[in-house]
Amino acid sequence: MVTTILATKLYIPPPRDKIVLRPHLIERLNEGLSSGRTPGVTLISASAGFGKTTLVSEWVASCGRPVAWLSLDNGDSNLSRFLTCIIAALQTIQPALGENLLAALQAPQPPPVETLLTSLLNEISALPDDLILVLDDYHLLDSKSVDAALTFLVEHQPPQLRLLIASREDPPLPLARLRVRNQLTELRTADLRFTPAEATNFLKRTMGLNLSESDVAGLEKRTEGWIAGLQLAALSMQGQKDTAGFIQSFTGSNRFVLDYLLEEVIQRQPEHIQTFLLRTSILNRLCAPLCDAILDNAAISAQETLENLERANLFIVPLDQERRWYRYHHLFGDLLRQRLGAPAELSEIHLRASRWHEANGDLSEAFHHAISAADFERAARLAEAAWSSAEESFQSAAWLVWVNQLPEAVIRSKPELCFQAGRAYSDAGDPKTSEIHLQNAERALAEEPDQDGFAILPGNIALTRAYNAQVQGNLKDTVKYAELALQLIPEDDIYRRAQAVITLEITHWASGALESSLRAIQVWMADMHKVGNPVFVIASAFAEADLLVVLGRLHEAIRAYQQALQLAAEHGAEAQQITAHHHLGLALICHELGDSEPTAAHLQTAADLGQRTTLVDWLHRWKLAQARFKESAGEWDAALELLDEAKQVYVKTPIPITRPVETLKARIHLKQGRLDKAREWAKGRENSIPDEVSYLAEFDVLTLVRVRLAEGSFAGVNDLLDRLRILAEAQNRMGSVLEILLTEALAHQAQGHAPQAFATLERALILAKPEGYFRIFLDEGEAMRLLISDFRLTIASCAHPLFGYVDKLLSTFPQSAEAIPQSKIANQKSEIFESLSDRELAVLRLVAQGLSNTEISQRLYLALSTVKGHNMRIFDKLQVQNRTEAVVRARELGLL
Amino acid sequence: MKPTETSSANYEIRVAGSLPPQWRDWFDGLVINMENGETLLRGPVADQAALFGLLKKIRDVGLPLVSVRQIPFQEKK
Repeated sequence: MVTTILATKLYIPPPRDKIVLRPHLIERLNEGLSSGRTPGVTLISASAGFGKTTLVSEWVASCGRPVAWLSLDNGDSNLSRFLTCIIAALQTIQPALGENLLAALQAPQPPPVETLLTSLLNEISALPDDLILVLDDYHLLDSKSVDAALTFLVEHQPPQLRLLIASREDPPLPLARLRVRNQLTELRTADLRFTPAEATNFLKRTMGLNLSESDVAGLEKRTEGWIAGLQLAALSMQGQKDTAGFIQSFTGSNRFVLDYLLEEVIQRQPEHIQTFLLRTSILNRLCAPLCDAILDNAAISAQETLENLERANLFIVPLDQERRWYRYHHLFGDLLRQRLGAPAELSEIHLRASRWHEANGDLSEAFHHAISAADFERAARLAEAAWSSAEESFQSAAWLVWVNQLPEAVIRSKPELCFQAGRAYSDAGDPKTSEIHLQNAERALAEEPDQDGFAILPGNIALTRAYNAQVQGNLKDTVKYAELALQLIPEDDIYRRAQAVITLEITHWASGALESSLRAIQVWMADMHKVGNPVFVIASAFAEADLLVVLGRLHEAIRAYQQALQLAAEHGAEAQQITAHHHLGLALICHELGDSEPTAAHLQTAADLGQRTTLVDWLHRWKLAQARFKESAGEWDAALELLDEAKQVYVKTPIPITRPVETLKARIHLKQGRLDKAREWAKGRENSIPDEVSYLAEFDVLTLVRVRLAEGSFAGVNDLLDRLRILAEAQNRMGSVLEILLTEALAHQAQGHAPQAFATLERALILAKPEGYFRIFLDEGEAMRLLISDFRLTIASCAHPLFGYVDKLLSTFPQSAEAIPQSKIANQKSEIFESLSDRELAVLRLVAQGLSNTEISQRLYLALSTVKGHNMRIFDKLQVQNRTEAVVRARELGLL
Repeated sequence: MKPTETSSANYEIRVAGSLPPQWRDWFDGLVINMENGETLLRGPVADQAALFGLLKKIRDVGLPLVSVRQIPFQEKK
């Protein structure tokens, strides 16, 4: 959910009527623009009341460039919000700018700041026209991370961008550096003070006063050219007969200017205006309906009053074109508030404001006014109402800050609020505090007279407990609460049921109870089918297929994928977007079965879909699959590289990792003959493998065993494998059983126990034959070939059921280890290649960094089709079939 | 007692211009005295954060800051 940016923050204040023109200052600001095309910052740094905003708005109206304006407030002290606002401001000039970044900022784990900023800067530097970004009221921010981000922007500013910062204090940016490099245009208090001529102009023209020269001089001297001071003085004198008397008292007094004048100005206003000002001072922003609600005085039209205040220059600032929203000039508003003190009606006023904001959909303002009114029941109710949108937009932490302003007794009395707090703490990774609130929720619920209103609560509480248990690694409780949740949550509550199902699925998976996991998913898919949600069904199919593969049911897995593809075809583009995974999965299974044509076909489809897919873990899966293919082809180095790349693009998902990348690499090292590297891995893993065999540790254990076998150390190996196999058989994980049997067979072979080796191999073959497993044997290499050859000799005749299978396997094995090419490419080093053009090389470099074609086209400002064309030519010149091969070959040739 | 980030201390803040005592509330209850065209604000300040908050308020109303100093608890005027 996108944070709603108030349009008022982006509103460019129009130049005011009858203001004093300050051409020399405008000229200074323009100078900053025309100094060649070096990037630069304009800083306007002066205390309140020196006309900064007025000057800037006058300047931008005539500067002849597109202007993006952002009025900052202290809510922007949050980096994510700050960046969102900046992008929103820039989008007023260039609508599509930074769209990807906005999306990235809303994700639960956004990328590092510098990546985001660099991307933004790149987009800005691609703009054809120069532009100005104004940041008004920078002093309201108080955030190191925002300052750091702005510093980064300033240091890498593209020449098109002119940054203008208006503040009451010097911002913590490297100003000295900018000054030295002549990249800073500064206007400070001394520059902004009214000169005597300007003061005269102001008092006469703008404020309509008829004063003598000495009067003007006196005022100017007393206020020292402080514009707000002159304005207040003028306001005090308007419509007064005895201006001379006023000036005499004013110039003769020692009292602090602001104090003196404010008193004067307020006293001179008619009473209804005074009331208006005092009461509305509690508001951050004012509009007529809101003011009416607070004042409760039908005789006065708030709209008229607001417009009058604006006309009278009484420190009210319009926030939009339509004259709907206003705010007080910060200084004035603060002081009004202070004068208001704490009258009896203050609570009442806040209450009215709260009600109005609630009725108009601004729960945040409504909440804060309720707290100010000390109406905690109301505030609690508002917090409850605000919960779901806060949770959806990942702002549960900010919501907790609200709630913690409420007295505990109030929180405890509300079951829904307690539950929500429980969820918020759960989201924040604090399961213990979460449980406390969940218990409070149950207690409060028990005391509720009207239970029906809270019917969904028990299910939600169970769900949260399941999640908390999962986070704490308590598998038993996770299952218990997830199942309880499924009992309690109504069928049509798809979202919550999904959470419960996924929790069960993952928990069972992690403990190796794959059949239970599969059941959970299949029930879920049937439910989703019933409620007509095909996308969920299609998405669940890859988990279903993954489970079936481990359970050794390859053909069922193929069917599962195909059914999902069928469903996707019936439901249009959105559904098809996610089928990249399915095609990849099918490619991997076909590869296992030795069907090379379907493998290639599915792989190509997967690649094409993968370019456009939104699945977060796509790249990781793709690279893992590519690594597997390379491994099967004996291209060890390519496989290792791909595994490293896969690791870098790993995105955490709830699915447990059963085959860690480092373990996969260790296996390849063994095949390469790099026992030293495999040993290194083994040493690192040994101590962290628990004594008890478990599904999650299985792959690591099997790999450790292989390292031992390679070292020729057999102690305890047989026992360990036995225990693993028994567990796998008990859980019907036949895919696991097959792997374990093969490892056992090799172990027996290595120890010279021929009969046991053959017996184990036979069991494996019997298990593997119905599904048609193929590569699992082939990929074992020479040792397996010898074992199967020897085994074949023990099969008496062609009539033996395994004969055909064994023959087929043997015929596909390469004859000897040397025949497996270490690298196909090595053979062709001597050929002459047509050299790559600069552009092709640039594309290739980005390909090597793992960028997709779309990313490359953005980076190099080319059309997507052009990039693809380059790819084709690159592949042609290097005589390769795909990106990975291109990169490998280019590296070999020293091109990269 | 050495004041730290979190412990309070007495401060004297001097600003140019004369500020009447009614501003006391605005400045978190500090005692206000006028002296030769300057104003002294004196009193306990909870911690560094509170101190900077006060300085910000002074800035916001446009009072030129002349000096800030810590005064030992015993000093009275």
